[in-house]
Amino acid sequence: MLYGYLPVLIFLGIAIALGVVLLALGLILGGGRKDDEKLSPYECGFEPFEDSRIKFDVRYYLVAILFIIFDLEIAFLFPWAVSLDAIGAFGIIAMAVFLTVLVVGFVYEWKKGALEWD
Amino acid sequence: MLIQMFFWSLAAVLLGASIGVITSRNPVFSALYLVLAFFTSAVMWLLIEAEFLAVVLVLVYVGAVMVLFLFVVMMIDINTEELRKGFTRFAPVGGFVALVVAVELITVFLVRNSGLPVLSNPPPHPEGYSNTKELGAVLYTEHVYAFELASFILLLAIIAAIVLTMRKRPGLKVQNIARQVAVRRQDRVRLVSMEAEKD
Amino acid sequence: MTGIINSLWAIIEPYWNWLPTLIQDVIIVVLQIAPLLVVIILCVAYLTFWERKIIGWMQNRIGPNRVGPWGLFQPFADTIKLILKEVIVPRDANRFLFLIAPLLSISPALAAWAVVPLFPDFAIADVDAGLLYVLALTSLGVYGVIIAGWATNSKYAFLGAMRSAAQIVSYEIAMGFALVGVLMAGGSLNLGEIVAAQAGPDNSWFLLWLFPLFIVYFISGVAETNRAPFDVAEGESEIVAGFHVEYSGVAFAIFFLAEYANMILIAALTSVMFCGGWDSPFSGIAALEGSMLAAGGLHWLCIKVAFFLFCFLWLRATFPRYRYDQIMRLGWKVFIPVTIVWIFIEGGLALIGVGPWST
Repeated sequence: MLYGYLPVLIFLGIAIALGVVLLALGLILGGGRKDDEKLSPYECGFEPFEDSRIKFDVRYYLVAILFIIFDLEIAFLFPWAVSLDAIGAFGIIAMAVFLTVLVVGFVYEWKKGALEWD
Repeated sequence: MLIQMFFWSLAAVLLGASIGVITSRNPVFSALYLVLAFFTSAVMWLLIEAEFLAVVLVLVYVGAVMVLFLFVVMMIDINTEELRKGFTRFAPVGGFVALVVAVELITVFLVRNSGLPVLSNPPPHPEGYSNTKELGAVLYTEHVYAFELASFILLLAIIAAIVLTMRKRPGLKVQNIARQVAVRRQDRVRLVSMEAEKD
Repeated sequence: MTGIINSLWAIIEPYWNWLPTLIQDVIIVVLQIAPLLVVIILCVAYLTFWERKIIGWMQNRIGPNRVGPWGLFQPFADTIKLILKEVIVPRDANRFLFLIAPLLSISPALAAWAVVPLFPDFAIADVDAGLLYVLALTSLGVYGVIIAGWATNSKYAFLGAMRSAAQIVSYEIAMGFALVGVLMAGGSLNLGEIVAAQAGPDNSWFLLWLFPLFIVYFISGVAETNRAPFDVAEGESEIVAGFHVEYSGVAFAIFFLAEYANMILIAALTSVMFCGGWDSPFSGIAALEGSMLAAGGLHWLCIKVAFFLFCFLWLRATFPRYRYDQIMRLGWKVFIPVTIVWIFIEGGLALIGVGPWST
């Protein structure tokens, strides 16, 4: 099993190497003269006002947190979906209970307006 | 032999990344070091044939949890100067916590490893063996209570996240999308046939 | 020809046998990966060309036709231009992260190809958890976007990155649930086995049983790759180009390459998981027995991938850009409920023993 992952490792290595080579090629061949205006961040022709790393709407955090929870749910569903024939009706009903509890959570999100983007 | 060498080099990367997490000045770099640490531990889990757990570690921790961390450290402007001022004040508390954790870890290792045989690598599995299927076969039958409990913990997490972060801003005007979608031409446009106006 | 190869092999063979097995395997794998990567990159090049042509035709224009016959050399001209352009790193940017971000977006887009079954009984890495691996790698793609947006230190880039990240994670959930449906039907995480379950003369493509999931998966794929009509992350009319606003030259080209490589990947995965991958739709028809049409193989995978890529371009030429709140609504309030309901339906059918997932 472990040996099956050797090509994956090599592929990852080659993919990264390809990116590095391309980037190096561009940095070498690109050359160019730098000047102050060229290096300033684009802001519709104005001087940039303040630092652009600003506080953001809390809604984005909420999306990220909900994403983690649903991702975990999916992680629980994967082994279940491949072992359907081993676990039989009992396993299917166990998952139905699990999902129902989470659907309750989903309905709560919906009713609370957490999925609203305004 | 080769596996051993691979393991030790991974361990070195993991240690280096972990040190990076706590020493880098920039919180974004700390988060990225943590990503590297998770990734390396996933590869180490692959070494002990825990295929499913390894990929799920990448999927959940690297793909989801660390994205949230990055969101947070990128969007909250942390004033490092102020944090450093607080350092001396909180140093005793931090030191105490570190001491407790260290003692706990050491006792766990001592108790666990006294008189127990060192676990050797699991024997290689036959062709067609699926780690995930094995896991599924016990998770939903033998460990069904723990599994259902997990759903309640996740439900709790959903509710807690919403209670803590939901802010309704007053006076917001929002569209009713269902009504927007349901609009027909007849509601909005009136076709009038009229005489052509001359001159 | 074979004579030359045989005599060459006779020279190499003693050296080859002298090598340790591990090195031999590494060389074989590299020899498999290299042509695949070359083909993918050529596909990306011609996909950009084809995109401009198709959208041109759909808008009653001719599209690029100046460089070479019918404009066929256009992608090469573009590549050379991009490589020769200066890579500008803005003043306040974090130089290291700024340059690493394109690498973070290209490597998962390419590495996911390792587990895609290309023809019967062959994938470069025939690992057991193939589907999980694909899902894990696609979830890494968001890093390139976030880091690029943050490292640039420009307001547009940051806005674009945050929008894009929230959008990508939202659609990833719908994608994950859709994959669970596929798993229930296929009964295995190995992509090769998933295709094998669909192959054969009865043509039981999962498309038939999982039609809603197929639609959800493909549209989520379009949203994951930030393609029109879900391209608010770039939104050139409001936030100029989003997370890659300050990228130029090769650094920009790598993002571009990653976006198109991801499109091809999504097209390939859609065909593998829902449309039988390399399986031929005509297998089992007696009149065609023995011909290329009835035999499963790489050519069928290519045809299916080309079709889905055309759909990507078609969507872009047809639909106006979605508004951001509408995108989030579609992901959370339409796709996730649809997929959850379908998983319940599949579970119910499995209980009564109907369909491909019957136990």
